[in-house]
Amino acid sequence: MRLTTLKPRMRPDRPALNRALRPLGWGAAGVVMLLLLLDTFVPGMALINSYLKHLLFIGLIYSTLAVSLNFVVGYIGQTSLGHAAFYGVGAYTSAMLTLYAKVSFWVALPAAALIAGLAGAILGLPSLRVKGPFLVIVTYGFGEMLRFVAINLNATGGPAGLPGLPAPSVGVPLDQIGATGKEGYIFLALGLLGLLCFLAGRLGRSPIGRAFEATKADEVAASAMGINTSATKLLAFTVGAVFAGMAGSLYAHYLSYVSPEIFSSGESILILAMVIIGGAGSIPGAIAGAFCLTLVPELFKTARDVLHLQVDPWTTLFGLLLILVIRFWPKGLLTAKSSTR
Amino acid sequence: MILLQQILNGIAVGGVYSLLAVGWTTVWGIVGMINWTHGEVFMTGAFVGYFFATSLHAPFWVAAAAGAIAGGLMAVVVDKLVYKPLRVQGAPKVAILITALGASTLLKNGFSLTFGPDPKGYPPVMPQRLVTLFSAGGSTLTMNSLQLFILVTTVAVMLALQYTISRTLTGRAMLAAAQDREAVTLMGAPVERLISLTFLLSGLLGGLAGVLVGTLYAIDPYMGSMAGIKGWAAAVLGGVGSISGAMVAGVLLGVVENLTSAYISAGWRDAIAFGIMILTLVIHPSGLLGLKAEDKV
Repeated sequence: MRLTTLKPRMRPDRPALNRALRPLGWGAAGVVMLLLLLDTFVPGMALINSYLKHLLFIGLIYSTLAVSLNFVVGYIGQTSLGHAAFYGVGAYTSAMLTLYAKVSFWVALPAAALIAGLAGAILGLPSLRVKGPFLVIVTYGFGEMLRFVAINLNATGGPAGLPGLPAPSVGVPLDQIGATGKEGYIFLALGLLGLLCFLAGRLGRSPIGRAFEATKADEVAASAMGINTSATKLLAFTVGAVFAGMAGSLYAHYLSYVSPEIFSSGESILILAMVIIGGAGSIPGAIAGAFCLTLVPELFKTARDVLHLQVDPWTTLFGLLLILVIRFWPKGLLTAKSSTR
Repeated sequence: MILLQQILNGIAVGGVYSLLAVGWTTVWGIVGMINWTHGEVFMTGAFVGYFFATSLHAPFWVAAAAGAIAGGLMAVVVDKLVYKPLRVQGAPKVAILITALGASTLLKNGFSLTFGPDPKGYPPVMPQRLVTLFSAGGSTLTMNSLQLFILVTTVAVMLALQYTISRTLTGRAMLAAAQDREAVTLMGAPVERLISLTFLLSGLLGGLAGVLVGTLYAIDPYMGSMAGIKGWAAAVLGGVGSISGAMVAGVLLGVVENLTSAYISAGWRDAIAFGIMILTLVIHPSGLLGLKAEDKV
């Protein structure tokens, strides 16, 4: 260990969200919440249209995925391109349990978390042997393998996937609450994200969080200090996967179907991009990144429809955005410089 | 005999994987990065070859040369514009890999915007017939003339490459740079030029592979994703950094894929490469012929 890596105080590297963005983000979240509550509990009220509510739900799911990937990227400093795999494992577990075993969503959700966590531990194993770019490749391959499994097995419905998933029920089915039937899902997704953020924040300041930080900074030094770096890494992968699995389960029941495309590497790249653009290690950053990359493509789609363009340049620009962010804002586009000194 | 025939069928496609794998492995060995845009270099070669063969009615060898050169130029341009600034900054390897992912997304979708996403087919480049290679006791081993042509081209290119790398001064400088780039810099070799040369070489092979695949299958802007990862899987299996390993492993991957689709199911064919790649990296990271490198912490 070099002397320069010794810091007077070990503090989690938490870049503060850009000052201009922070009140804006909270303000927007508050207004949306207020409108949403009115829509849900005042009969006949529909202040936000169905499309925007859909985007809000998708944004919350991606936020959960981005914050859960942050355990791997931000906390232990490894990069994973296989996060969509856990999302998919959760979705398929939940789908198969509710369709074949006829269990309720409330049983399928923890089961999805469990199985996804197991998959996370399995994918965490290679991280003990390979790291850096090679781990990226292994995680990428893991997701793609699962996609082929989903395409080729009969139980997973082949390329078409599994349709007809039941809506979760809270006395009444969730899709019959509120003006559009999306409100219940939004609150559920919000609850999941809230739980995750609470846990991620607490974990970051706990001894486990310090172990994450130490493993990220210098593995040899960390193990010399008595930290079990293998267990630490596996834990980061597993916790991240558990939440991704729950997000997958919720998403599958919201759409009422699941298809192998959920495993695609494009999804994993998108989730990773959310974390990177938001600034690795930052929870508000990951959420901001997730909402940006959910809403901006939709703006392009709308612009294309309004202007009657033939093509949608978003995917091309997305590639360019990744290049530029890594080149000019390697600590994240939406966050200010790291606050650690 | 049927088994032998299946193996033979895999060899031609495997040769193409070898070409790709050598491109991946040389860049890894000398520049120390996973050039994720290699699949798009391959796609560029296929597209340029296609335009030479159709719009310009060029003879096939001209189209092949044009595709190879386009691939080489593409690789060099991507390096200069995208990777070099990060390399000079001393950015972490993962940052370079993510940038490469971005460049790959940009290129394939850019091509799709420009030329349309629909698949295109090369005009027939040569009369196709079955060539009997061996026959005994009523059973024969045959090979499609096109596949035979691809195989012969691949072997010729590989031999030329092996000669260039091991016998010329530039080739030796590249080998030296693969071992220790800093030392080569200190010896006065122009390392940035060596790196450009490496990308050029890698791109030439990738572009040529693109044209060769174009003669067999339809081409589209997204063809590079799967072919690229298969080339990388072969490079990993052969031991990243090892050129002869990449050659052998490419052919091996082609054969294993063909056997999978013949004896298990065509649906699993594309999954094999990922499985091989993961298992190699996790169980025996130095691959078949790779040198064991101690990873410094």
